[in-house]
Amino acid sequence: MNETSGMEALVGGRKPIENEYVDFSKLSVLVIDDISAMRHAVRSQLQSLGINSIKLASTATEGLVQVEANSFDLIVCDYNLNSASSGQHFLEHLRSENLLSATSIFVMLTAETEYDFVANAVEFIPDDYLLKPCSEKKLRSRLMRLLDRRAFLMPVLKAINVRQYDVAVKECNRLLSMAPDDRRVLDVLRRKADAQLAMQDYASVLETFDRAAAIRCDVPWIMMGQARAHYALGELETAATIAKALVEKNRNYVSAYELLSKISLDSDDEEGAYEYLNRSSAILPSAKRFRAVSQAAFLLGRLEEAKSNSLEAIRLSTGSMVERTGDYLSLAQAQVDMGDQKGAVDTLEKTARKHGEVGLFGVAKNAILAQAYFDLGDKEKSRKLLERSASLLGNRKNSFVMTALGKSALKVGDVVFGLKLMTQAVQVSGKDEKRIARHVKKSMVDTGHVDKVEDVIDGGRKRILSLVDEATRLMRSAHFDEANQKVMEALSIHDENLEALLTAAQLHLLWLKHGGLDEAIVEQAKFYLSTLDKLVPNNQKVMNFYRFYNEIVSQ
Amino acid sequence: MQEILSALVVHDIKNSLALLEIDLEQLNHQEGVPIEGQRAYRRCIELKNRLMSFLTLYKHDQSGLKPMVSEVDLTEFLEDLVSDSQSVMMGVNHQGHPIAVRVDYDRIKEAIADRGIGFFDENLVELALESALNNALRYAHHQVSVWFEQGVDAQAFMVLDDGVGVGVVDEMMQRKVAAKSSSTGLGLALCKAVAGAHGTGSVTLESVAGGGTLFTMTLHRVS
Repeated sequence: MNETSGMEALVGGRKPIENEYVDFSKLSVLVIDDISAMRHAVRSQLQSLGINSIKLASTATEGLVQVEANSFDLIVCDYNLNSASSGQHFLEHLRSENLLSATSIFVMLTAETEYDFVANAVEFIPDDYLLKPCSEKKLRSRLMRLLDRRAFLMPVLKAINVRQYDVAVKECNRLLSMAPDDRRVLDVLRRKADAQLAMQDYASVLETFDRAAAIRCDVPWIMMGQARAHYALGELETAATIAKALVEKNRNYVSAYELLSKISLDSDDEEGAYEYLNRSSAILPSAKRFRAVSQAAFLLGRLEEAKSNSLEAIRLSTGSMVERTGDYLSLAQAQVDMGDQKGAVDTLEKTARKHGEVGLFGVAKNAILAQAYFDLGDKEKSRKLLERSASLLGNRKNSFVMTALGKSALKVGDVVFGLKLMTQAVQVSGKDEKRIARHVKKSMVDTGHVDKVEDVIDGGRKRILSLVDEATRLMRSAHFDEANQKVMEALSIHDENLEALLTAAQLHLLWLKHGGLDEAIVEQAKFYLSTLDKLVPNNQKVMNFYRFYNEIVSQ
Repeated sequence: MQEILSALVVHDIKNSLALLEIDLEQLNHQEGVPIEGQRAYRRCIELKNRLMSFLTLYKHDQSGLKPMVSEVDLTEFLEDLVSDSQSVMMGVNHQGHPIAVRVDYDRIKEAIADRGIGFFDENLVELALESALNNALRYAHHQVSVWFEQGVDAQAFMVLDDGVGVGVVDEMMQRKVAAKSSSTGLGLALCKAVAGAHGTGSVTLESVAGGGTLFTMTLHRVS
């Protein structure tokens, strides 16, 4: 037998691979695997391909440190990391926190037993899956394909990286005219939709996904994109129809359940929302999902479920990068409401002791403890805890914490203070308004103030809006000083209220245009614009304001 | 307990085998590797393929295979399949001469309905076709061809060898050692499982006029 020639071909030769498009020697790579031997074996394979810069990590947490410190062309991550955070959790975290550069390639290594779990299940998918074990030759050809694809998309990816989404869309259109086949067309359409989504241009997003669906209508990510775009456009029924068709064929498609849950909530079907969330956390358990189920259960008054899901969230996240002190608060509040005051005290004073009274956690912790001790009959201690909570809150504005404190005040009989906090909680709730309104309502019902629910919620909503309306009216008649006073009053209630900030920005821009370049007003305009940019990145309106600002200043 | 234990043991065996394979792969990069080293690598690959097929089938029996459908360039897919295939590189006939495996471009050009883009689970289909290739190589005299065909609602992958026909293979199989026949059976069952996972797929083996066996795996579009 001619073994030698066969073997030489089999191992693909000794020399690093040379390819006119792909220079492996310039790539920087991160390998994440919990098994040390496997980590080093994959590194050997990558080195044989000619890759020199290779970093290793054994856990998601270690991987995160590496990602934050370096910019990798390629991340090769094992799905099963044998700890609280799997490869999928890691990827979800990177993508949802925007820690991954658009030009980075993420490859997930999976075993056949994990396969359907990672595939088909989730919103955040890697650039490729590789079934373990993977030979060097296969690794090479898959990488070449991925790098080839990256090279084709590079102008788009670069624009996305620097958040120039309009440039990205233009580049996409250019690439679409030269895409050699449908696969490339779909690649580009996907990125185009990403860019349009970042600009919150939902009508165009839908158009892009519809175009992809014309090529192939039953691909999960295309259907999901269509459903999301319809949802963003307020077409809830169409969105639900598509999402339901999607889970019909892909029972494990978690993000479709999550969208269906949002749609149910928007249609005031809290029960349905809870069911969908429950399904998504059963398919792909994660602290984030248990947290969401716990919240939904709590609002439905299902305290046992709220408690068990909070416990799961704590169990899965303790010591990991997704640990949240809020889980202890949710657990303790459920325990108080169930009549398990001792349990709540245990949770906050023992289990969560290491978190002390840091930040807003301290406010809510003392507020919930005040409720527990009140029920236990220790009125004096309860009163002190309530005072402690209020003093820790100070002038800070946070809806969730204010709701907890408000509930405690109502419970111990300080009705005036309680109602004031509830009203403010609604006022400062911003994009969480619906959720906060539900919490406020529940807390008031629980503490026997059902008659004042409407006053508090409507009052909270209307105060800022009426101030903003007045400011807008004054601004249109060029009464800038008076308009500014109204806006400032609205912002003093809630300094992150979007309507108020948008009006403030617009007001200052008009002021500059009509009154000339006053240094102080320029500063104020810049401040409002940057605050808005942080709160709602890539908002079309804010971007237009920026353009307007540049025009004025350059004149 | 039994089940958990066996799952752990199998997981361990697979990981160790994967590590062994990579070690042998890297070892074979070096100059002057003795023939035993080369043979060990080959045996390791065979063993791994057998285990992978078995585990995939087991998964199929337990909870079903759920394909992750993505868009795939069919020509590129087959080119990679052939060039990355460990079976192809180890393929030698009875006289020890290498067997040529080629993508049959002429047949591909005849029938492209969807501009050569397919929608299926690349990893699963690759696993199935690798085992079909492995089987074809064991019976081929000189060459094996692979190609695909596309219809409006289906795509098919073909593997054709120039060995004795399938009827003869069946007879031979009964006489062959158990190891070989079990691996053929395993491979065919795997292909059927993969095809089935993609909807109403099918797998056939048939003799062709003038000798040789044609393997066909058809995947229907899920509609």
